[in-house]
Amino acid sequence: MKTMQPRPLSTLSLIVLHEARILVRDRTLLLVCGVLALMVGYGLFVGLAQATLRDRMVAQVLKHQQETQTANSGMLQSVLAGQTALIPFSNPANPAAMAGTLSGRYATMPNAPLAALAIGQSDMMPNYYRITYLSKVQFMYDTEIENPWNLLSGHFDFAFVIVFVLPLLVTTLGYNLLSAEREHGTLRMLCSQPLSIATLMAGKVVVRMLALLAIVIPVPLVVLLLIRPEARGAEQLVLVLSWSALVAAYTLFWFAVAALVNTVGLSSSTNALIMVALWTILVLILPVTMNLAVGLVSPAPSRTELANRTRVATAESLREYEDLYSADYRYASDPEALLVKNERIEVPSRMRAFFLAKQKVDERIEPLLKRFDQQLLQQQKLVDRLSLLSPAILINEALTSIAGTDSHRFLAFKDQTEAFHQEWRQYFSPRIQESRAMTMRDLSSLPRWHWIEMPASEINWSIWWRAMLMLALASGLGGLALSSSSRGSIE
Amino acid sequence: MFAIIAAKDLRVLTRDGRLLWAGGLVVILMLVALAAGWNRQVQLNSERSAGQALDHDAWLHQGYRHPHDAAEQGMHVFKPEPSLAVFDPGIGPFVGSTVWLQAHRQSEVKFRPAQDATGLQRFGELSPAWLLQVLLPLLIIVIGFNSVSDERERGTLRHLLSLGAPARSLLYGKAAALASCVGILIAPVGLAFAVLIVARLPAGERVDVVYRIAWLAAGYGLYLGFFVFLTLAVSALARSCRTALVLLLGFWVAATLIAPRTASEATNLLYPAPSRLDFDNQLAHDVADAGRKAWSTHFGARTPWDPSVPLSKWGAALKVDDEAGYGALDENFGRLWDTFERQQRAQEWVGLVAPVVALRGFSMGLAGTDFSQHRDFSTAAEAQRRKIQNIVSEDLIDHADRLGNAHFTYKAGPELWASVPQFKYELPPVSFALAHHWASLALLAVMFCLSVALAQYALSRPLMR
Repeated sequence: MKTMQPRPLSTLSLIVLHEARILVRDRTLLLVCGVLALMVGYGLFVGLAQATLRDRMVAQVLKHQQETQTANSGMLQSVLAGQTALIPFSNPANPAAMAGTLSGRYATMPNAPLAALAIGQSDMMPNYYRITYLSKVQFMYDTEIENPWNLLSGHFDFAFVIVFVLPLLVTTLGYNLLSAEREHGTLRMLCSQPLSIATLMAGKVVVRMLALLAIVIPVPLVVLLLIRPEARGAEQLVLVLSWSALVAAYTLFWFAVAALVNTVGLSSSTNALIMVALWTILVLILPVTMNLAVGLVSPAPSRTELANRTRVATAESLREYEDLYSADYRYASDPEALLVKNERIEVPSRMRAFFLAKQKVDERIEPLLKRFDQQLLQQQKLVDRLSLLSPAILINEALTSIAGTDSHRFLAFKDQTEAFHQEWRQYFSPRIQESRAMTMRDLSSLPRWHWIEMPASEINWSIWWRAMLMLALASGLGGLALSSSSRGSIE
Repeated sequence: MFAIIAAKDLRVLTRDGRLLWAGGLVVILMLVALAAGWNRQVQLNSERSAGQALDHDAWLHQGYRHPHDAAEQGMHVFKPEPSLAVFDPGIGPFVGSTVWLQAHRQSEVKFRPAQDATGLQRFGELSPAWLLQVLLPLLIIVIGFNSVSDERERGTLRHLLSLGAPARSLLYGKAAALASCVGILIAPVGLAFAVLIVARLPAGERVDVVYRIAWLAAGYGLYLGFFVFLTLAVSALARSCRTALVLLLGFWVAATLIAPRTASEATNLLYPAPSRLDFDNQLAHDVADAGRKAWSTHFGARTPWDPSVPLSKWGAALKVDDEAGYGALDENFGRLWDTFERQQRAQEWVGLVAPVVALRGFSMGLAGTDFSQHRDFSTAAEAQRRKIQNIVSEDLIDHADRLGNAHFTYKAGPELWASVPQFKYELPPVSFALAHHWASLALLAVMFCLSVALAQYALSRPLMR
């Protein structure tokens, strides 16, 4: 057995141990940590459920796509062999039918590996689009089904626990760091010891902060690593690290606020009031006011205008192809006319008109849709700048971008989808114009969708500067608290 | 005695910096929210009515065209913004306001403003209703948490009771003082806003809106009254000011911030809504099924657009196809919307612990921005779509079907377009909202009575401890 060497315990660690003992004895810490653990668990459950749902949807659409493809190739084979009765609207040899009702590809955006950490915008924005010859306005605004009341309430996800609840728990643990000692008359006694108030406070904060962080950081990471294998990559490790740094910095910020408030020397009740007032302003009021301000400074183009323009564009393109639309339609009674001859097929003029008209509609609405996207980008830039005013916005934006549920990623998805939609049309356009029948080879060379993930460096940069900023803010406040505590009175 | 206590408390509260600062902030925010809402509404309403008129005009003047092509182009109808949406925008930003009435498919209301929003949207929208629901209870707690406990700590409560002041007067006096503080802040703004809203309306709609405002005032009165009495009760029951404050703030956080989110997550599990893909697949399947049946009974064809159905029956076939689908559409959309309404009704029970949930439903309902009224509009829009489809198909049967293969060369003119009645949607009256939300109001009344009872119990206990 080793003999215990007497170790010189620094004052700080003595305070830490002492505080820990008190906090455990009076059950405050256990209660707060219990509440936090419950909320973390529930928030994670909600996030995981949402991520699983979205995974399942992507898998489902891809399966559906595979099935349609198999069915189409079977049908095309029999049509080319002259075995199937030909139906004008669903003849797979007809490129116009293949571009629209018969085929269509799904543009899908996979969940980011850490998606379960924050739901963000993912309940408002679709993670797949069905691409056909239809115009953009017809498919771009379809979203996932969700009760609007629930969208309004918001989700109880893990990001909510961090952004909203964590500071409140910090307040509960920290509003009377010094004031309670003062009110109990023990501060005077403590100050008669060789101990500075700054050390006392630092010790108190360290215990409380470690207790909260011990739940809020490792628990979700362990759960995530266990349940979602895709979260185990090297790139994710960096993200996880930055995520931990962010959460720690945000917690530190609120403890620094608590310490600073405590050094002023007011009563516990007043401290609690000040903390809650600060929380209300930084977490509740500033973000909603910013939301309003962002809308005012950089207003979205009118949705009514979009509807009007769509109508005008549709009317114009219908008129433009009027001759094609109203041509004789003998194919219904003469299906033989739909047969493939020398790799050519007569594309019914009406179907050709469908294709061309939708294409025209998009060309005409394009500038307005571009303005919507521009607008969203502008707004997002404004939010990035305004986030400097409220740590809650700062951390919320960072958490959603780690989870890949922020509006930057959705805009990227939208952009890529538009490009793919364009590619899809360009593939079919010459075939329809030149009446070329679809071949088996064509069927396997249809444009394919590839999602290009946003560069990790961009995400990392946007997160680290936020984490650093938060840390700087927290240390600034903490430093202020420590320096003013050394000057403060103990009365 | 009651009046003396109320006057004294009111004087104390108004001298305190808390009311000045917190109240001032709330009033400023309220004015900002009202101005922003007002600005948005004026813009939206003029845009929408102009859009509606333009659309109908374009429909009338589309010239000569095949009726089915006209139906493919369809028209847009716009949901009028209820005048009280300035006060409570409700689910507005999440559902959009425009329906495209096009051939073959029932459209959902599209173009949701929330899709053009940034991540900040999820923090909420600054509306007067949000301020009253979330921030005012906090204000009541902040200015009232020590109204009894402080007197006890200072020993003035002992004096007061020794003078023979009845506990009941004490309670109602303090409640009146707290309530007047809140009243001073919101009543002038609220009154001015109400007068402005009502004055701007056409005479026919005024009575309805006045009723709505009165009911809203009642609902919010009960809600804020609940917080006034709860604050007094906790202040009397707690051992110290600090405990009272911590307890009340804990309740506020749990009831106004955490409960609504938890409730919506929970009801989602209880009554799950289908995913978009499942919904679309089911709908497509049901429509196709109904279509196949109708095609085989009417035309003996196995599949729609079977070569055995010549173009001389195309108009008739279109009509059969459309009508066959109506049942499936009604059933699928009905089921989905019922699920939403069931989810909301289940949440009302959460109002028993978190009155804000009950109040939110009631407030949106009376403001005309809740789901039931959105559903009413969607149903009206779909009815209009079917009207257009029927008129168009009848015309095809009468004129185009006779032309055989030259079916699509037929062109109808302005008289057909004029036979489609203009879409006129009137927001449902206040009775509609009350029929949907009386339970929430009843719940608020129950909560209010409970809080009064609790406060009476708390103050009638021997306070001389």
